Amino acid sequence: MISPAAVTKRAAPVLACIGLLAVWQVASLGLKNDSFPTAIEAIRAIPDILGDKESLINILASLRRMAIGFGIAVLVSIPLGLLMGRSRAVAAFFNPLLMVIYPVPKAALMPIIMLWLGVGDITKTLVIFLGVSLPVIYHSFEGAKAVEEKMLWSGAAMGLSPLQRLVRIVLPAALPEILTGCRTGLVLALITMITSEMIARQSGAGNILFNALDMGQYDTVYAMIIIVGAMGICLDAVFERVRARLVRWSEPQFDMPLSFS
Amino acid sequence: MKVVPSRSSEWVGPVTSQKRASAIIEIDRVSQVFQTSARKDHLALSNISLTIEEGAFVSILGPSGCGKSTLLYIVGGFVSPTSGAAKIKGQAITGPGPDRGPVFQEFALFPWKTVLGNVMYGPRQQGVRAAEAEAQSRALIEMVGLKGYESFYPKELSGGMKQRVALARTLAYHPEVLLMDEPFGALDAHTRTRLQNDLLNIWERDRKTVLFVTHSVDEAVFLSDKVVMMSKSPGCIREVIDIDLPRPRRRNELLLDPRYQKYIVNIERMFDESDEAGAPS
Repeated sequence: MISPAAVTKRAAPVLACIGLLAVWQVASLGLKNDSFPTAIEAIRAIPDILGDKESLINILASLRRMAIGFGIAVLVSIPLGLLMGRSRAVAAFFNPLLMVIYPVPKAALMPIIMLWLGVGDITKTLVIFLGVSLPVIYHSFEGAKAVEEKMLWSGAAMGLSPLQRLVRIVLPAALPEILTGCRTGLVLALITMITSEMIARQSGAGNILFNALDMGQYDTVYAMIIIVGAMGICLDAVFERVRARLVRWSEPQFDMPLSFS
Repeated sequence: MKVVPSRSSEWVGPVTSQKRASAIIEIDRVSQVFQTSARKDHLALSNISLTIEEGAFVSILGPSGCGKSTLLYIVGGFVSPTSGAAKIKGQAITGPGPDRGPVFQEFALFPWKTVLGNVMYGPRQQGVRAAEAEAQSRALIEMVGLKGYESFYPKELSGGMKQRVALARTLAYHPEVLLMDEPFGALDAHTRTRLQNDLLNIWERDRKTVLFVTHSVDEAVFLSDKVVMMSKSPGCIREVIDIDLPRPRRRNELLLDPRYQKYIVNIERMFDESDEAGAPS
């Protein structure tokens, strides 16, 4: 049997989506503007895009760049963040550098990177990498800094070397915080992916979107926005599942101390 | 070898270090200076010398801020003294090692590991085979009274249970010396009493050397063979007192024992005197 609360929880996101589409539909019908298609028109354009081989190749190319950029960023940023969190010298060296890069929109760096590396995959992947790195470094840094000293001492007494302590104590202890950073990073990867394709048009989901805009195919524009949004929701949902699994031990539903000394 | 408390009628007396043969830990003129934020040096420990004999249960007792935990961390190798040296079995202590097992007030369990995973961690690190480490760990978990909780995560346990796990985790890698840093300080009075009783029961089986930091006079007297009284600013040893009470000790018997009561009254009086002497006029 499903409780009413569970039904509400399941139905809420669906209702929110339907509500948004309904508002869109009504607004569009009311405004009667050519550049603002109705929700139904936009949704009708989705199968055309997804059925088109060229478009699919473009979208898959985008996702591939995003996966590579995100993957490399995570692999570099987590160790760096953890080292910064546990070593004052490393933090003192990298903190000013990161502080300079942090407020700069990564897309603003694209023209420079394009001059060096062209308009191909490497440039776009690099921009995604930069976009993802900072939140992951920051959260890894904060997570590593917060690791209880006594936990590391306990490990040291068991004979763990400094490197073992970093990998086998700091990393798992900071994992909830690290994954929070990765989740932010994932969304940023999607954003930088689209922006990079907006600036260096050549292929990708962003390319379809902006080409359609140039050609006045507004239903396609809105359909692409829906597709990108849906991709974001799916990626985030999958990531959230993985995250919840990995840090089950820290989840609040476990927060029920037993009454027993 | 266990230290036999002196049988003399004189119950208090500074301990001289003539029993060097059985000494396991020697602290030699250790001082510790901390730099406070205002760039002022704070002398946390001043010229501490202390010898701890193998198999003895020694408490370090003192008010907060007297540097008693710092002294324990120096023995643990977690903190290096500013001057002086600590030795274990004649070897200078340069860092932490599995011969000295800490138990902290904050438990410091690995939250991503289950109770069993926490207890098995040390033996596995020491290269004990998984099956063997698990069998030993399960036995230890049972010994500390947590049978049935092997697959629980620390987050699911109460404070007292966490400290039981921490004790089992440390005992699992067979340290020669247990370093207990106010282990029951974060627990409520009832839980604290239960854990004191259980610790004594466990300790009386194999009589490992224990260095036990506490600010509770009755806890120190109840558990220890020897109580090291410290005073603060700067942290130094005020008195070392042999606790000549029979073992195994039972709380209900001790509470009625005039000798036990006398130890507590005398130690408290000494702390009061030093407070008055040290109070600003």
